[in-house]
Amino acid sequence: MGLKIELAQIRPKLGDVKLNLEKHLEIIKSSTADCVIFPELSLTGYILRDLVYEVYKESEKAIERLLEENRCIIVGLVKETRPGILRNATAIIINHKVDYVYKFYLPTYGLFEERRYFQAGDPKKDLKIFEYRGIKFGVVICEDAWHYEPIQALTLMGADAIFIPSASPMRRLSAKLWIEDSWEALLKAHSLINGIWTAFVNNVGSQEEEFFWGGSMIVSPSGEIVTRAKLFEEDSIITEINLDEVRKNRFFSSFREHNRDFYDILRNL
Amino acid sequence: MPGYVRQKLSLDFAEVTKYLTRRIREYIEESGKDGGIMGLSGGIDSSVTAILLSKATKNFHILLMPSSSTTKKDMEDTMKIIQIINAEDKYTLINIDNITEEFSNDVKTTDKVIIGNIKARIRMILLYAFAQKMNYLVVGTGDKSEIMLGYFTKYGDGGVDILPIGDLYKTQVRMLGNYLGVPEDIVNKPPSPALWEGQTAEGEIGLDYETIDSILYLRFEEMREIEEIEEMTKTDATKIQKIIKMVKTSQHKRLPPEIFRLSGRAINSDWRYPRQWG
Repeated sequence: MGLKIELAQIRPKLGDVKLNLEKHLEIIKSSTADCVIFPELSLTGYILRDLVYEVYKESEKAIERLLEENRCIIVGLVKETRPGILRNATAIIINHKVDYVYKFYLPTYGLFEERRYFQAGDPKKDLKIFEYRGIKFGVVICEDAWHYEPIQALTLMGADAIFIPSASPMRRLSAKLWIEDSWEALLKAHSLINGIWTAFVNNVGSQEEEFFWGGSMIVSPSGEIVTRAKLFEEDSIITEINLDEVRKNRFFSSFREHNRDFYDILRNL
Repeated sequence: MPGYVRQKLSLDFAEVTKYLTRRIREYIEESGKDGGIMGLSGGIDSSVTAILLSKATKNFHILLMPSSSTTKKDMEDTMKIIQIINAEDKYTLINIDNITEEFSNDVKTTDKVIIGNIKARIRMILLYAFAQKMNYLVVGTGDKSEIMLGYFTKYGDGGVDILPIGDLYKTQVRMLGNYLGVPEDIVNKPPSPALWEGQTAEGEIGLDYETIDSILYLRFEEMREIEEIEEMTKTDATKIQKIIKMVKTSQHKRLPPEIFRLSGRAINSDWRYPRQWG
């Protein structure tokens, strides 16, 4: 018995929550998966700039509509966590109930300017484990997978799968994408070290001058890419993830050897 | 205009004048140019800009570029401003009708909007040619209301080096004009790009500038909801929506052309340097 997850690699229209919600519903209604996962900020688009102030309310409202659907749904939105404070959020909807996780690491370098708009999540409150059909999972957003701790913490808290809604823009176009190589390496490392399934769900297509490359993928706890969505096009892939693969890793790895003393050192650095 | 907005838009125009002339002077210096050139139409924006430019530097030049759709009154008004800024030996008059006709014939069009935009771009070409000849900068005359509404010609009157009054709404430019001693009939004249006969900005947009500016200020600076703006300005929601739509659909006119990313550092996206670089 496993959990069938669908990675919905969509091209949201920047700022058009109404249209994006329709697209979400269309995919959810026709999906045969248990859990449908959309990319980062899937309801609003990513390169929002100051448009963020115009779309956050509508994106929060869209969640109410999605709550009517009887399924596990993971979508990206902008959430006002207290008046005037916005966060880059992902809603996890299970059995008509919603909970939110927030991005911890807000990229503010190169083309990214998230700290201009968002407040970072608080690890002490916002690391959450969810369970659906016997699989415990956590959700981290894009940049959080470029650090060890968020995924490591969720795994040690009990997650056997980590879903990573993302908005990764293409940089350095060539036959083999540098950014795709990087993501493969990251996902494989997280999966191998933690004995977990990792599922990367990317946006696709153009938003302003940027272009999201798609290439969503699922990596098994053995570090194998088991499914992969198309590059540069909207696509959807369904994969069943199970606990047997998790066991295969953890029986024959040192994942159980967690030495907390390292954290005492890290904390004081 | 609601009293609340008028009060918010009222500035100390002596300070504003000092500040803007200083900024013009410094920009000319820092860019290594010898002075500034601009087109004068006889309207409030270019009249105010001309006075500011003349206060910023002795090295300025004015181009008068009338066409068949320029009114006699506008021409008279340009001469009033020329006198005010003592520019009797610092202006050049070029009638653009012949060039406009040649362009229009080549494009095979009689469409007044297309021809109007051709006129605006011909003026830009003349300004840049003179600027290069004199080692001057092209000083733009657009105000904040027009720029926000996209009520200008891309690469026409939008094709300039600096926009000294680009952060002042039309209503504020009028107030500044009064302070600077621009003749009252110029201040109160209905604004018009005069790209074709009888064209007025307020006629085309369907609202007077006091209302337009109130909507722009309340929506985009105070980020108020439409219902609130409706109440405050006593203006129909559909008209407010129209103004907001003009702002939104003209964003491409305010940004540099989109560059499709390919590399690890793409211009404007993650390759950002100040104008004062080298």
